[in-house]
Amino acid sequence: MKWIDIKAGFRDFWDEFKRVRFGLFGLILLFIFILTVFINPYIVPFPEASSRWRDITYWEDNPVSAPPVWVNWFSSTKRAPSLILKEHDFSEEKMGKIKLARAVFEYEYPYDLPPLDVIFHGYAKGSPVIMLSIERPDGQIVELVRRPISKSDGKDVRVSIGKDSRIESYNFGVKYEKPESNRIEREMVKPTSILFSEAKEGILVHPAPLKGVYKLIIEIILPAENDAVEDIYFTFSGGVSGWLGTDSSKRDIWSGVVAGVKWALLIGLLTAFTAVSIGVIYGVISAYLGGWKDSLMQRIFELFIGVPLLPVLIVMSAIFKPNIWIMILMMSCFFWVGPVKTVRSMGLQIKEETYIEAARAFGASSSRIIFKHMIPLLIPYSFASMALYVPSAIVYEASISLLGLGDSTIVTWGQILHDALTGGAVINGLWWWVIPPGLFIALMGMTFAFIGFAMDKILHPKLRTR
Amino acid sequence: MSEPILKIENLKEWFPVRRTIAQLLKGEQIWVKAVDGITFDINQGEIFGLVGESGCGKTTTGKLLMKLLEPTDGKIMFKGKDVTHLEANKLKEYRRNVQMVFQDPYASMNPRFRAQDVLEEPLIIHQVGETRAEREKIVRRSLEEVRLIPPEEFMGRFPHMLSGGQRQRVATARTLVLSPSMIVADEPVSMIDLSTRAEILHMMKTVQRELGLTYLYITHDLSTARYFTDRIAVMYLGKIVELASADEVIDNALHPYTKALIAAVCEPVSGKSNTIKEIPIKGEIPSAADIPPGCRFHPRCLYAKPRCQEEEPILKEVKPGHQVACHYPFD
Amino acid sequence: MTDTDNVLKVENLKINFFTRKGTVYAVDDISFTLKKGETLGLVGESGCGKTTTVLGLMKMVPTPGEITGGRILIGGKDIVPLSEDEMRKKVRWGKASMVFQGAMNCLTPVYTIEKQMMETIQEHKQMEYFKAKNIIINYLNLVGLPEEIIRRYPHELSGGMKQRVVIATALFLEPKIVICDEPTTALDVVVQAQIINLIKRLKKKLGLSVIFITHDLATEAEVADRLLVMYAGKLAEIGTNEQIYGKGGPIHPYTKKLLKATPRLHEKVEELSFIPGTPPDLVDPPSGCRFHPRCSEVMERCKKDEPPLIKVEPEHWIACWRNHHE
Repeated sequence: MKWIDIKAGFRDFWDEFKRVRFGLFGLILLFIFILTVFINPYIVPFPEASSRWRDITYWEDNPVSAPPVWVNWFSSTKRAPSLILKEHDFSEEKMGKIKLARAVFEYEYPYDLPPLDVIFHGYAKGSPVIMLSIERPDGQIVELVRRPISKSDGKDVRVSIGKDSRIESYNFGVKYEKPESNRIEREMVKPTSILFSEAKEGILVHPAPLKGVYKLIIEIILPAENDAVEDIYFTFSGGVSGWLGTDSSKRDIWSGVVAGVKWALLIGLLTAFTAVSIGVIYGVISAYLGGWKDSLMQRIFELFIGVPLLPVLIVMSAIFKPNIWIMILMMSCFFWVGPVKTVRSMGLQIKEETYIEAARAFGASSSRIIFKHMIPLLIPYSFASMALYVPSAIVYEASISLLGLGDSTIVTWGQILHDALTGGAVINGLWWWVIPPGLFIALMGMTFAFIGFAMDKILHPKLRTR
Repeated sequence: MSEPILKIENLKEWFPVRRTIAQLLKGEQIWVKAVDGITFDINQGEIFGLVGESGCGKTTTGKLLMKLLEPTDGKIMFKGKDVTHLEANKLKEYRRNVQMVFQDPYASMNPRFRAQDVLEEPLIIHQVGETRAEREKIVRRSLEEVRLIPPEEFMGRFPHMLSGGQRQRVATARTLVLSPSMIVADEPVSMIDLSTRAEILHMMKTVQRELGLTYLYITHDLSTARYFTDRIAVMYLGKIVELASADEVIDNALHPYTKALIAAVCEPVSGKSNTIKEIPIKGEIPSAADIPPGCRFHPRCLYAKPRCQEEEPILKEVKPGHQVACHYPFD
Repeated sequence: MTDTDNVLKVENLKINFFTRKGTVYAVDDISFTLKKGETLGLVGESGCGKTTTVLGLMKMVPTPGEITGGRILIGGKDIVPLSEDEMRKKVRWGKASMVFQGAMNCLTPVYTIEKQMMETIQEHKQMEYFKAKNIIINYLNLVGLPEEIIRRYPHELSGGMKQRVVIATALFLEPKIVICDEPTTALDVVVQAQIINLIKRLKKKLGLSVIFITHDLATEAEVADRLLVMYAGKLAEIGTNEQIYGKGGPIHPYTKKLLKATPRLHEKVEELSFIPGTPPDLVDPPSGCRFHPRCSEVMERCKKDEPPLIKVEPEHWIACWRNHHE
């Protein structure tokens, strides 16, 4: 077939497809999903989520089990969201051999609950000394951390106010408390809640938020000529975090779910494509050969139909190291039975067409008849059934992952669900951890089901061979 | 006439009927004797007609010659070589030489193929023509041979975009691309409108003369057979009952079945609308699974004698060039 | 001729199909009569509108087709304005019945012959079971089938027997007009001849008026008392059997050519003649005479003006400028 004929065929198909409302809806959803895969780095805060899902260091600045940011819209106590603060004023002073650098970050704080932690990041060369202090809206400056860096050619520096300034914060807060409040353990205080609260009695016990602009001041002493601290910024682990919150391992769920789109599409499409291709070819060959060969092939087919897939997948995943490719292979090995019956009966019908006999009379080989004359007629049907197998493949993968037998090198929706289950998301009411992956599985299934049904609806009357 | 291009000897095609359990236990097997021992020659450059009603085995004979079916028994000799059973590579070579035109030209072409693809297919199968351009040249030439001029106009069309006559021309052109020596035409004009039927037959005859082809023309229609063929064999229930030149069969038919067939043919002549035509035959054609003993035509024959019920007549020459399978051909 | 002799009179019948490609003028302004006790042959190539014409007579034109003009008088009464319900109760099967093209292949494979026929009978007339069964057996005998056939299934019968069953079904309610659409086309020659004989016998015995449609002029010669030759939705020629097949032969070039293209068994010809070209597309029929692009006797006038149907001798009408003498 020439390209122009294919184009004309597609145009006809499209004209009819347009009229099936839910098919169009499915197509739009699919388009959005595919778009998501391509613009993934631009829409998620953690673009490496897919490859570093199980890397704790990648997620360490995030809060634990924080709800999504939009929870603030429905709540009267606003929590500070997670944030990365890069903008700052920078100044440098030379005092003999020693350089003194100063960076000021401005942080606007209009919330009721403070961030859980504020973390300083930088890349240090040589042996600088970093001093961190905060200037509160009420004019008080609290010196927090003084951290000398051991000499190196360059290393990441991470200073957590939450962990490293307990004493300084306590000392600042305790001044306003009555003496009997001394019994408050130093180890119990949360530095951020002290620093972001009004300086008055009760600051340690039930702090009232002090709203306004805070200045985070970094002073760096650079003793040698080539010493430097570069790429400085602050991250705030908020009380709310990201579009879909975080899980108990501090992972951003939105990033995880979006990373899962790619894998769901891969699993679904690849499995459906392989399985339907095998099934269609198997069915046609069985129909074409006929006789005892057909009978034998049908018995083999029935054998496969009789085997329940899920237990086999569980056993296979337990034996082999759970691997996404093996899983796709295994699913293909069992899904191919789906289209066989229909394809075979269609094949039997096509086989009786005179033009097949004519081709034989011209000496065409069996493979030519099967691939040139029979399979092209089955392509529309194949596409429709492919679309219908995509959701099952995704759900199967999710089921396996939910049981903890998924591929641990990638992130799929099933695995997020599995983690939620074992992480006690349901018991602790961490709904943002459970609903999104479940919803995405349903949405992806719906997308392909819609497309599949629409294609089926359009192509079915055309299943007659002419 | 020269050496026969095709010799058929005692060719048989029996299809087994699915057995019941009782028959299976008794070891019985019923056969549908679609073709039950036929013998004839086709000469080089001749048009040989095979005439009979539906179910007489004429189409099965055509398929046997095309090697679409394996014969149960008998022999097929093509150009002096035994081609009854062939291996794959010999079969391919045989199929280059013997081509087929089917009854329904529309059904015999893949609806998704354009005329050009339809014609190109045999060339690709037999690896004729190195390049696409070379193959296209052959395609063009054979379209010209069947008078589809200019070929460019028809090459890009799909079967449904062609008229019935044009389709049968394309189907004929397809048989010509491999320059075969013999063509089996199975009812090539029965699906075509009367006004164009003659045109197609005329075209086929012209092509046959120009290229020196041999035709086996299978039909139920004696009128076109008379016009189109040189010799006619009349088949009844898997056997040839009469074989002679076309004029001889129609003007001096000897077998009672042939006579009945001729009587039944409608003629465009006036004054018959008020009379009832007598057709010298009774009953209906029996099933090929249950062939009557003796002469297989005797239950329907108006002239049957006791001998006809017991002894099967063999096809023998009763006049020069006129063979009949009847015990009493001149009664 | 008085109207009482005419069991059916068609006046200026027009049937159009409104398709996506445009309006198909399938039957374009044709008029004819069917006399009592005669067989009227309707011939033409496939797609000329002969089946559409008779479907129009039964008011069974499939959508998107529609009768857009003309009158159909059965027994002097115009049936065009009748509703579907009235058609079914009063006209179809009762006054005129039809043997459809390929009807013998449309018998329900899971019903016995008795059940098939019983359904048709009871759809049109309330009747007791045994009475109906008697009628069925009577009509089966009439078409030359034995009584035992009522217990058989369609696949157990031969093509000829099935066609007889279909004909018997068409006769149940004693219609005066029977329309046969290609009743012999798919049958073998011998069976074909037998069915033709059957139709002739029934016509005489029951006093039927028959419309017999076929594309084959040779078959028509055996049955038709008068012939209508149709070309591209129009009538080309009307004549008696003698006028068309007799010594004089037809006058319209199309009929002449068609007759010449019909092979004759007892006459060896070297070359059969044929009509070049193909029938026109009825969405956009040729101007003037619709046959002019294929006609060998074409004149200038044929390309511009449409020839009217004129009488050239008693019972013989043609639509051709060649024989138009004002």
